[in-house]
Amino acid sequence: MNETRFKNVKALPSTHLLGTGTPMCAGCGGLEALHEIYDILGEKSVFVNAAGCMTLLAIYPFTPFRGSWLYTAMASAPAGAQGIRDALDILLQKGQITPKDDMQVVTLTGDGAAYGMGMSATSGAMERNLDFLYICYDNEGYGNTGQQYSAATPHAAKTTTSCGPQGFFGFKKPLFDIWAAHRPAYVATVIGAEPLDLARKIEKAKELKGPRLIIALSPCPTGWDFDPREAIEIGKLAVKTGIWPLKEYVNGEVVHTKLPKKRLPVERYLEKQGRFAHLFTPQRNEELLTEIQERVDRYWAEMANP
Amino acid sequence: MKRLLLTGNGAAAWGARLAQVDYIPAFPITPQTEIIEAIGQWIDNGEMAGRMVTLESEHSMITAAGAAAATGVRVFSATSSQGLLYGMEMLFTVAGWRAPFVLANVSRGLSAPITLEPDHNDILAARDSGFLQIHCSTCQEVLDSTIIAYKLGEDAGVRLPVIVNQDGFYLSFTREPVEVPDQEQVAKFLGQFDPENTRFRASTPESQAVAVLGGAPYSYFRYESHLAALNAIKVYDRIADEYEQLFGRRYDAVESYRCEDAEYLFVMLGSFATKAKAAVDQLREAGWRIGLLRPRLLRPFPEKLFQQTLTVTKGVAVIDQNISMGKGGVLYTELASVLAGSTEPAPLLVSFIGGLGGRDITPEEFYEMAEVTKKAVQEGQAPPPRLLYTETDLRETRKLQAIAQAERSELGGSE
Amino acid sequence: MFRIRFHGRGGQGMKTASRILGTAFFIEGYEIQDAPRYGAERRGAPIFAYVRAALEPINERGVIQHPDLVIVADDTLVPAPAAGVLAGADEHTVLLINSHEEKEIWKERLNLQGPMLILPILEEVEDRAELPFIGATCAGAAARLVGVISRPSLEQAIHDELEHLGQAIVEKNLHKSLEAYDLMAEQSGSATPSPVRSAQVWENPGWIELPFEDACLSTPTIHAGATSEMLKTGLWRTMRPVIDYEHCNRCWWICSTFCPDGAIPVKEDGYPEIDYEHCKGCLICVAQCPPHAIAAIPEHKFQEDAPEGEES
Repeated sequence: MNETRFKNVKALPSTHLLGTGTPMCAGCGGLEALHEIYDILGEKSVFVNAAGCMTLLAIYPFTPFRGSWLYTAMASAPAGAQGIRDALDILLQKGQITPKDDMQVVTLTGDGAAYGMGMSATSGAMERNLDFLYICYDNEGYGNTGQQYSAATPHAAKTTTSCGPQGFFGFKKPLFDIWAAHRPAYVATVIGAEPLDLARKIEKAKELKGPRLIIALSPCPTGWDFDPREAIEIGKLAVKTGIWPLKEYVNGEVVHTKLPKKRLPVERYLEKQGRFAHLFTPQRNEELLTEIQERVDRYWAEMANP
Repeated sequence: MKRLLLTGNGAAAWGARLAQVDYIPAFPITPQTEIIEAIGQWIDNGEMAGRMVTLESEHSMITAAGAAAATGVRVFSATSSQGLLYGMEMLFTVAGWRAPFVLANVSRGLSAPITLEPDHNDILAARDSGFLQIHCSTCQEVLDSTIIAYKLGEDAGVRLPVIVNQDGFYLSFTREPVEVPDQEQVAKFLGQFDPENTRFRASTPESQAVAVLGGAPYSYFRYESHLAALNAIKVYDRIADEYEQLFGRRYDAVESYRCEDAEYLFVMLGSFATKAKAAVDQLREAGWRIGLLRPRLLRPFPEKLFQQTLTVTKGVAVIDQNISMGKGGVLYTELASVLAGSTEPAPLLVSFIGGLGGRDITPEEFYEMAEVTKKAVQEGQAPPPRLLYTETDLRETRKLQAIAQAERSELGGSE
Repeated sequence: MFRIRFHGRGGQGMKTASRILGTAFFIEGYEIQDAPRYGAERRGAPIFAYVRAALEPINERGVIQHPDLVIVADDTLVPAPAAGVLAGADEHTVLLINSHEEKEIWKERLNLQGPMLILPILEEVEDRAELPFIGATCAGAAARLVGVISRPSLEQAIHDELEHLGQAIVEKNLHKSLEAYDLMAEQSGSATPSPVRSAQVWENPGWIELPFEDACLSTPTIHAGATSEMLKTGLWRTMRPVIDYEHCNRCWWICSTFCPDGAIPVKEDGYPEIDYEHCKGCLICVAQCPPHAIAAIPEHKFQEDAPEGEES
């Protein structure tokens, strides 16, 4: 990998490719990540989408994309990417198109598809060594239907299907590990609130061949219940508290790309979101707060001494 | 041109090979697997140029097929039964993309209970998907229909995917002599797939299959697909003429066998229809004025052709190798709608259901169906739908039930 | 049959308004339908909800085409065609606008045939997205305007609909709703029911034969890029971020990159510029600007101050 084009924040794009006027919520963390990604990726791309919030990006006759788009279904966006990639390769091989008509094939899904319904199709695409980029905007719940819990929902979070005093009983599925276990070309976590880290990762992923998969934690004002203006602050706190480790898997190794020097208490992240309000009022739920903190601590301890 | 002994599966594979398909997303399922095995071997031997990829499910397979067609290559795929149902969401979806390709379906009865031999509930579940459907009765027809299906689906006035259906076991695993046309001639007949302005290229970006909100535009797009399917009747007739001229075999949208002057008709789909043909011959020998109508095109439904032939007869035995629970035969319902909408006298329709899960239909049963239909016409009243099921069938089932229901002690087991 | 439509923004509680009114009618012995209408749009975007009420069974369904009463929670939506506030309104339709401005100003502005009423904004807030209790307020006004809902029935309806939010919230909503109910006393019964469309004579619906068109036209494919820019999502905005260029230190990457909608391009001179046609007003730029050079101004204030026709 050559040296990055993104040496500092001043190198970030100052004009933006993704069109305005989308129906995503004001302050959408997913759109935040997507527009940053699109700036790096460019319009020589075809986005293959699965059912989720971002399906509504392209509503006839309006699309924010300057490149191409295909909506498939909730479970099979990676298979759609397979069909397009294979077809482009065939056309290139037969000389029916020139390389200038080739495109990056990008799967774009939410966590509902990535962590759940589409997992088999993603696994299949990796096992077939499909040359594609997968972007999962992860807002930790079935957001487009009003935030029910998904396999990506964190422990104790309140959703419309986990509204008891303990919140969600389950734990966020380790999608990064599951993806990395397939030994694809690249896996990374990103967040829109850390645009430089994001830009470098997309830049790297763009240059690699084979399956490249990105999970973008997407603070969701609507589903997580916070003021939209806080979206970036919450994203930064996700990184600073260590609950969302920024990392990448490349050449068989996991590397953390942004180490929080002194991790802030995870409470600082939780207290800003209505979905965790029951951990603080009417009284603090020390047991759950400790449990969440300990999980984060354990992650970083294991990371330091694998 | 050469004459080979081919199974229905082999004939489907040959059809895809002669169409020089670029891309074959695949997934194995009995009794279809032989098709993708044959293609896989040809590609490995260098006898065929396409690229085959096995997906992890039929749902993904049909997605990949549609996506590749939407990118502008010629695609072939194959499935059967549960596989067709597993991919059902995508059948409806890719048809809406107006991405033409050919899907071979080898009919097999549906679960539950899971079974192996054929009936048509799988393919009829796809009836409203937007795929066109061609139903075959011989291995030769499977090969020819596969080629015709490309010409039909890719036509600028159609642009819809097509399913070419054959029955499991009765065709899929049955060898018959099949004339294999010359590659050059087929290439001339088909030409190259021209996706026109709907394909993915970096230089002409486009957003395909986007959401459409609002009843007016949604109705427009859905109805245009319907109009395209209807238009396919006209296009099909033109293609059938052309095919006959080049290859000498004629395939009308509805096969009409000895229907001229017929007072009675059998109507049925698929390979069992050749049994009906044999029955027609024998019944004619015995003095009956009877014929067979077999829809090859089920979608679009050749309504006019049916109207023309049906209205001059007295009675029609509709034999359904499928069952819609709580209603009855699907083909019967479809034909009844052809005859409705006019106060003109119409023939009496008599409904028979048989051949579920590959249960055979004997010549005597055809003769008896003719007799029941004749009697119904004389009495002016159709009997209730008849399941073709005999004392022997029930006795056989009872034996199995006795074992399934037996106390453990009776079977000598220990408790 | 009464046909009532509530217009507001996603998040302002129009569904709640329709449910309170629906329940109040129900308590009075009416058959009712109440429903919100969701599109793809989100918080801040125009939405509406509606109520039908009649003493006989209701067979009509779906969106109300010809309302007897239209209530607008947020007056900034009235001039926006995309909000559809005035759709189907005629001389029979009573229009009630929650606004600071006088009836005469609106009358002149809209030039409508039907009666118009103003629900004065009693307690202004900075951010209209957080208009407190506006759903219950609108429901209270509507309950009085239809003239068949008693004060106790309205109170009961608010209890029934909002109980799950706790006593304190119920109390505040009750207060606001009853206040609006009382305010409309003089106009009680001004919104009157209209009959169902007669089958004696009717206008031909004008069906056509849909022409068959080749797939290159009749496929849901968009053959152009970034067409979404034609959608002015600036309409969603209730708070307007305004850059004070005196204090902007041109570290553009922050506001420009963090704007989720990409609505802050950077000019050649290095200063960021907000695209108000598309800015949804999330205010991330306000929160993140290091020298605090971006202020948030209530959109309604800005609109009131701006000369006519200058709004983007």
